Amino acid sequence: MKKIIDGYFSFLQIVLTMLMGILIIPVTMQIFSRYSEIIPRYIWTEELSRFCFIWIILVGAMIALRKNEHFAVDLLPPPKTHKGKAISLFFVDLMAFGMAVIFVVWGWPLIKFGLLQTSEMADLPMVFIYVAWPITGITWMLFLSERVVDHIKLFRSVAP
Amino acid sequence: MTPLEVSAILFPLFIILVIFRVPVAIALGLACIPVFLLEERLTPFLLMNEMFKSYNSFILLAVPFFLLAANIMNAAGITDRLVRLSRAMVGHLPGGLGHVNVVVSMLFAGISGSSTADAAGIGSLLIPQMKRQGYSTSFSVAITACSSVMGVVIPPSILMVVWGGLMSVSIGGLFLAGVIPGILIAGSQMIAVYIFAKIYNYPMYPRSSFKEFFVAVFQALPPLMTPLIIVGGIVGGFFTPTEASVIAVLYSVVLGGLFYRTIGVHNLPSILYNSAAFAAISLFCIGTASAFGWLLAYFKVPLAIVQFLAPYGVGPTSTGLIVAGCFLLIGMFIDAIPAIIILGTVLWPLAEVSQMHPIHFAIIGVISLAFGLVTPPYGLCLLIACKVGDIEVKNALRDVAIVLCPMLVVLLIVIFFPELILALPKMLMAKFI
Repeated sequence: MKKIIDGYFSFLQIVLTMLMGILIIPVTMQIFSRYSEIIPRYIWTEELSRFCFIWIILVGAMIALRKNEHFAVDLLPPPKTHKGKAISLFFVDLMAFGMAVIFVVWGWPLIKFGLLQTSEMADLPMVFIYVAWPITGITWMLFLSERVVDHIKLFRSVAP
Repeated sequence: MTPLEVSAILFPLFIILVIFRVPVAIALGLACIPVFLLEERLTPFLLMNEMFKSYNSFILLAVPFFLLAANIMNAAGITDRLVRLSRAMVGHLPGGLGHVNVVVSMLFAGISGSSTADAAGIGSLLIPQMKRQGYSTSFSVAITACSSVMGVVIPPSILMVVWGGLMSVSIGGLFLAGVIPGILIAGSQMIAVYIFAKIYNYPMYPRSSFKEFFVAVFQALPPLMTPLIIVGGIVGGFFTPTEASVIAVLYSVVLGGLFYRTIGVHNLPSILYNSAAFAAISLFCIGTASAFGWLLAYFKVPLAIVQFLAPYGVGPTSTGLIVAGCFLLIGMFIDAIPAIIILGTVLWPLAEVSQMHPIHFAIIGVISLAFGLVTPPYGLCLLIACKVGDIEVKNALRDVAIVLCPMLVVLLIVIFFPELILALPKMLMAKFI
């Protein structure tokens, strides 16, 4: 199971890298088409770049959850015992899980909505964009459930 | 629900979640959910709708690009050249490397729009050098962290792009307005360095000859053209801020790949990945912060604040002080971008009533939030600098506080003399101000 999750995680990392590279192309085209005659002035460059961007944000958010890189604030002193630490980590993950559930449950209507709609300029089906939210939710659930085992182990372990 | 009821749900819930270490982005989203469920006209579906609307913005695209440009410049070793130039300029002053640290941050701020890239890039280069020359670690860390905040004050600036995009203020105007406060901040920090150097007898470099100076200027000239290209391009109307950010990326690739030949194709994937991953984290927060801000606006909370404060007859200066206070406070706890979305929209009606200029309002906000980058518990630049210097945050706090004092004076100057910051934009782009 861990191998599968690791593989999926590397896949997401590759997707993120590629999207960022791809993102440069439409915006560059937009500038050069304005000042030269070589490239026609496509209207879809702006839309395509916005859509890549949305995916970058959400794929980045998926990756950041597994690496614990979402910004959090250290106000309370760190728990001293393993039990306390496990409970506080579990609480944070539970909240993130709640958010993931919301992304999936209220993301379905978004998908249904997206099936009926196409984008303004390039006529892309909007579902390709909206589906990013439920996918984020499911991915978060996957990464979070992977961690539950660690929390339980930490909870049961004897403090050194 | 009344504005008060909604605020009584949103803010305490958000604060409690953040105290228990729930990431800010998730805490903002979860705090909205009870309101979405309790009010029958709303549904949590709107959370995603607001997130989508905030991400679907061409202007915000500039955020990852400016980060990418800064990271490429860092990887290409452009920072080394800027350090050499700064050393030729100010190295002979008492506390030479401290001044170099400030000046190089100022130069780098003109190339990058992000303070974190500044803290990481310059810190890893200068903190070890400063330690070797006998500077205390806490001072080296403090001056690196504090000087890096110029990254968001001196154009280009990611915060100004976000601010301009959200509140429809001219980004070119904001960029120009940031120049003078940025230089003042640099000056105030150099005073702090000078005082430290006199007390602790920090070393200095021998004065460089004219020839050395010109060689250093010549070597650093190509990267120093970046701010001219970006700001000039936007102010002159040649391209939009987003396009300018891509130009900065292309220019940095040309510099690093063709001109200096310090980066190759094999470096690019990791730079792309790191920039995208970091940008995505702060941008993700924009989505949930927008939903939070949208709820505040939907229930007319900003209007309630204006009505509450109106009887006291607030003028531009007292409003400026309130705005700075609010942003300084929130900047201690959350990242600058969500702070802009939540507080900026809440405070703008107040600023409008007191007849504050939108650019003045924005610059006060951005400078106050820049302070937030070095104030604990959540000061990203301080955290990065401490990591590089390998000390605990609490050991650097005293020196950070000392360096911040003259910077606070600069903030007050900006609040009391709006004409000072509005002069440049009025001169260069009078039509849009």
